[in-house]
Amino acid sequence: MKIKNIIRLIVLISLLGIPAFAFKQSEIESGMKKKIDKVLVILKKKEANAKKGEEIIAIMDPVFDYSLMSKITLGSKTWSSITQNQQNEFMKLFIKKLKQSYVDKLDLYHNQIVIYKGVKPYQNGRLQLQTELSGKGETYKINYNFYNNNGNWLIYDVVLDGVSIVQTYRQQFAGILKEKTFNQLLSQLKEKR
Amino acid sequence: MKLLKSIFIIACIYSISYAENNVTVCENGICKDNISPKDTNSSSFEKEFGDTNKTSTYDPFEKYNRAVTNFNDKLYIHVMDPIARGYSKLIPEGGRIAVGNFINNLYFPVRFTNNLLQFKIKNAAKETGRFIVNSTLGIGGFFDIAKRDFNWEESDEDFGQTLGFYGIGAGPHIVWPILGPSNLRDTLGMIGDSYVNALSNTKECSIKYKIPQTRLQEAGIYGYKQINRTSLHLGEYESLKKDAIDLYPFIRDAYSQRRTQQIKE
Repeated sequence: MKIKNIIRLIVLISLLGIPAFAFKQSEIESGMKKKIDKVLVILKKKEANAKKGEEIIAIMDPVFDYSLMSKITLGSKTWSSITQNQQNEFMKLFIKKLKQSYVDKLDLYHNQIVIYKGVKPYQNGRLQLQTELSGKGETYKINYNFYNNNGNWLIYDVVLDGVSIVQTYRQQFAGILKEKTFNQLLSQLKEKR
Repeated sequence: MKLLKSIFIIACIYSISYAENNVTVCENGICKDNISPKDTNSSSFEKEFGDTNKTSTYDPFEKYNRAVTNFNDKLYIHVMDPIARGYSKLIPEGGRIAVGNFINNLYFPVRFTNNLLQFKIKNAAKETGRFIVNSTLGIGGFFDIAKRDFNWEESDEDFGQTLGFYGIGAGPHIVWPILGPSNLRDTLGMIGDSYVNALSNTKECSIKYKIPQTRLQEAGIYGYKQINRTSLHLGEYESLKKDAIDLYPFIRDAYSQRRTQQIKE
């Protein structure tokens, strides 16, 4: 009888542990902490930046909603005015640029520590995970903005010391599109690496 | 056999309870819980990020600003960066951090006054505590003991933020040679702060604690402060620059976003 109960318990527990890639609301902080811890381990390895970057991106990829980020940076007006092919092309280039700029920044990591300030309510029922990167006498605020995609909380923006990455690109693209065509913007994105 | 049966029953009960609550839906190995409504309405994101036309249109000094941004960029890359690199080889990091702390400690009057002007009494008190602790236990401000041992964080406020706190808008963006990006409000802020700042020279209006006696000394102190600061942040500017598709609007927007955030805090 006793053994049976134990087995029952084991089965129950294993059924509860349903694998999920993105986070439920309650998992945002703990899940990100796990991911960031893994990232810190990789950062401390003695490897080429490109390789480190690949490993880190593989860890972080599932929690980013790149397609939403692309859509917001371009603005819904522009997004809906271009063809599907152009949308895909833009997304491909933009995501590549985002990832590249992330890898470029790995050099700046010098054993700073990450402090978690908790998940705070943000605009329109969205949530913001607030973290601080502390070292060398200065602290940087790194905040991750999450939105609820069907109970799947995904990142749609990262805010560094008050500067939103999505917003910064959004303004730049809007500025460029005032004077240039969308295809010119695409080729500009291709050139600039 | 009995065991298998019970496992099967438990599994069934479990799956039914899941289906009934409709909490979790699994699709292609990705599970989602259905408790809250979907948030993919693009117009609400549009609202969050604001009108793209508003910020970029009002820029009367754009031509001049672009030119100065280019000048500052060259100045940084060809002058500031090499000097700071050389300096960083001469003086170990610990020493440079201590120097940074020392200079930062001297900005106490600016932070204190502006916290007070914004009725942030608690922060003003904390700044005073920081100044006293760091000037004494921190040996003249070289060590940030207040943060390390008392967990008293700095509350960086300046007069530009104070003006913003009272609802004064940013005004047109202005890029100053050497000093970098600013706007009309923050420029007035810089002038305001110079009256209380121990490291600036305001001639006959000077309070007794002022360190530089001439403009030249003030510039020297500023230059050294910047070299020390840059030496602790080597490569950051170059790395940040890679995010720019067009350098000037990139720096302008990043600056204005950061200031807006600082004023909010």
